[in-house]
Amino acid sequence: MIKFICKRIAQSVLVMWMVYTCTFWLLMATPGDPFVGQKQPPPAVIAALKARYGLNDPWQAYWRYPVDVLVHGDLGPTISYSNWSVAAVIKNTLPVSMALGALALLFAMWLGVGAGVLGAMMKGRWLDHTLTIGSLAAISIPNFIIGSVLLILFAVNSTVLPSGGWGSFQQLILPAATLGLAYWAILAMLMRESTENVLKADYIRTARAKGGSPLRVMSVHAAPNASLPIMAFLGPAAAGILTGSFVVEKLFAIPGMGNVFVNACLNKDIPLVLGITMVYTVILIVMNMLADIACAMADPRVAINA
Amino acid sequence: MRKTLLLPTLLLLGVCAGGFWLSTGSKSDHHAIVFCQQGQIHTLDPAKMTYLQDIRVAEGLWEGLAQYAPHTLTPIPGVAKSWSISKNKLVYTFHLKRNASWSNGHRVTSGDFVFEWRRVLQPHTGSGYVFLYFHIAGARQYFNSIAAHPHHHLPFSTVGIKAPNRRTLIVTLNHPCVYFLDLMAFPPFFPLDRQAMRQFRVRYHGVVGYNPVWTRPPYLISDGAYQLTDWRFHQFLELKPNPYYDQRSQVHCPWLKIVNYDDATAAFLAYRTRVINVLGFIPGPLGPALVKQEASGRRDDVHITPVFGTMFLNLNCQKGVLKNRLVREALDLAINRHALVAHVVRMPVVPLHVLVPPHTIRGYESPHGMGFNPERARKLLKQAGYPRGRGIKPLRYLVVAGYPITSRLAEAIGAMWRKTLGVRIEINSEEGKIFHQDCVHGDFAVAGEGWYGDYPDPTTWLDLFIGGNPNNMSHYQSRCYDHLLHLAAYESNAHDRFTLLHRAEADLVDKAFPAIPLYQMADGMIYNRAKIGGIRPDFRSITLLKYIHRR
Repeated sequence: MIKFICKRIAQSVLVMWMVYTCTFWLLMATPGDPFVGQKQPPPAVIAALKARYGLNDPWQAYWRYPVDVLVHGDLGPTISYSNWSVAAVIKNTLPVSMALGALALLFAMWLGVGAGVLGAMMKGRWLDHTLTIGSLAAISIPNFIIGSVLLILFAVNSTVLPSGGWGSFQQLILPAATLGLAYWAILAMLMRESTENVLKADYIRTARAKGGSPLRVMSVHAAPNASLPIMAFLGPAAAGILTGSFVVEKLFAIPGMGNVFVNACLNKDIPLVLGITMVYTVILIVMNMLADIACAMADPRVAINA
Repeated sequence: MRKTLLLPTLLLLGVCAGGFWLSTGSKSDHHAIVFCQQGQIHTLDPAKMTYLQDIRVAEGLWEGLAQYAPHTLTPIPGVAKSWSISKNKLVYTFHLKRNASWSNGHRVTSGDFVFEWRRVLQPHTGSGYVFLYFHIAGARQYFNSIAAHPHHHLPFSTVGIKAPNRRTLIVTLNHPCVYFLDLMAFPPFFPLDRQAMRQFRVRYHGVVGYNPVWTRPPYLISDGAYQLTDWRFHQFLELKPNPYYDQRSQVHCPWLKIVNYDDATAAFLAYRTRVINVLGFIPGPLGPALVKQEASGRRDDVHITPVFGTMFLNLNCQKGVLKNRLVREALDLAINRHALVAHVVRMPVVPLHVLVPPHTIRGYESPHGMGFNPERARKLLKQAGYPRGRGIKPLRYLVVAGYPITSRLAEAIGAMWRKTLGVRIEINSEEGKIFHQDCVHGDFAVAGEGWYGDYPDPTTWLDLFIGGNPNNMSHYQSRCYDHLLHLAAYESNAHDRFTLLHRAEADLVDKAFPAIPLYQMADGMIYNRAKIGGIRPDFRSITLLKYIHRR
């Protein structure tokens, strides 16, 4: 296990360097000037700001950011929010996106697994068809439409839940439901497929032959094995959902990292985009590693070194 | 299955609870007035701010030598109890109050103004409004010398800003500036507590600056009606009365919470569900419907007023067919502003044929401008050598993405030009940074722009068209025009000065046509007047938060 983790960390350094390089040069290639705005300052101000952020020479900037991070432990200042450093922006927005994403994933995971198992058990019946159509709809409909419908139902027509903002648990419910719905649908379909395959296995037939009730066969023998693909899916899904969603955060006025990231890209805030991208990369690597370890722990057939 | 999903469940629960706990405060805000603005706060450093939402907050936190009178918005004494102006209108002597204090109890001194003004004049501070300082004698030279020789520049003593003692500030100008006192109430001229700032001095890659943490509570020290007690990034700012403010009795709001929404519709929903008490803007997509409801008496909380801002089109005078003045005039004459306002904008905006909104500056008379005249437009285009638009390639018309109104305007104007003149356009919707870069580089033919005046003087618009001004997006160059503005700058008689400025504006809107004015913009607020008092939408969109209170 330790050998596996060390190997993964070594690989991760390489991956992070490649992600950094690609992101940096892509940003450099995009049009737009981060210091140009609606009210233009004199050219001397723009030149001084470019020098301050080391953006006069792209190669100098390319080496400067990693050196600042490694030597000073500093992700540098942002361009669009000059009162906040990149680290401070991430520190303030990442917990918001993580809290929202975690609740959304929790909701998606339990309801998705439940719906998948139910669908497999009731295969071919009306409940199975309803769940399949529901999952397809949840995947196909963009989340800004789902969010808007939920807002109309619960915040406009009846003021059961607040329309957005951040600060109370009630404000989390609608955005978490919107964000989690697409993941719920994927998990439900994955679980249904997986359960269906497991139900055809010999050991399930044996369990049934030994007189196990359908509920016991499902919960004790089938579902644990069927949920293994879910574990593999949860790693990258968690990295994606925990780091924020632009659409949901904007729709519900959530002060999360997804919205900040997209705005940073639009404003060509190079330090902020690089900082958030690297944080996202680290989270993705860690989540994938955790998913691999969890899969190996749950299923002895999965060799971790493989 | 339960065991398999137990680990992720526990992990996710932990992340959710931890993230929520880290990102929220435990305070209940039932007693606060929640004021919502559109767009996030960019900076709370008065030297750097250019966005309206930042300026509004700064006007609540700081006070300059002057402040705006609540109803007239004319400058009245602020930190300065009085001032005297020399006969030649070049030397302003400000006498500071004895009891003007910072929120940490320190006294505000003239040295605090000198400290901050000197900081603004350093290019690496990044002040977008540094050009306003160039009215001060020696300021431009000092700024340029730092830009050219960062380590061997002119001494600050060459600038006309002097503090002979703690209570006196003397400012010497290059030329008379009738709106100089207005500028004293404008954030780039606010002071900073130099003693408090000392601890934040840092050297970053060879440049001396200040750790931006000074703008955040509890470090931010202000001298205005409020002090900043909390600031959660992209969540809210919490303002409470400054206990050391000398006009404390005028501040009746014990707790002001400022929230900033990116999405106008989300903000309106939050207002509807009473999360917000005052919506400090009219949500663009809902504007026409709200205006209709207000007009029919179905709601009484929508307060809209024409503002000190003009929507106009920049025509690129240095490139392609628009170099020809006759073509520019033809395009101007072919636009029916009244139809645009009635069918596209559908808000109480005023169609305009001039750049400076008429009747907004006392004593200034606007020129007439050109009306809608399709016949003459066709004749002019023929005279320019392009009968029925033949020989004119589609014009590259830039709009900023994310503002549907600008795209709708572009489509309507394009249809008018096509129908009247046979001129076609190619609409390019670009993100803000790319749009502005293309404008600066002149990579366009037509670009939509909305400009808000910064101070009550025609030059807040007319200076835009001076050759070499970084904001001269139409790249218009005219020695005659520049000379008129130069003469006006040195004219000490107010009436004669306005006459010169009137001629300059007439040059733009009657002769040269570097820009096509469309309409005077309107903005406002949504709030219940029976519950919230002390504020009202004003034509400069300033909104003095100092006077806001619950009824």
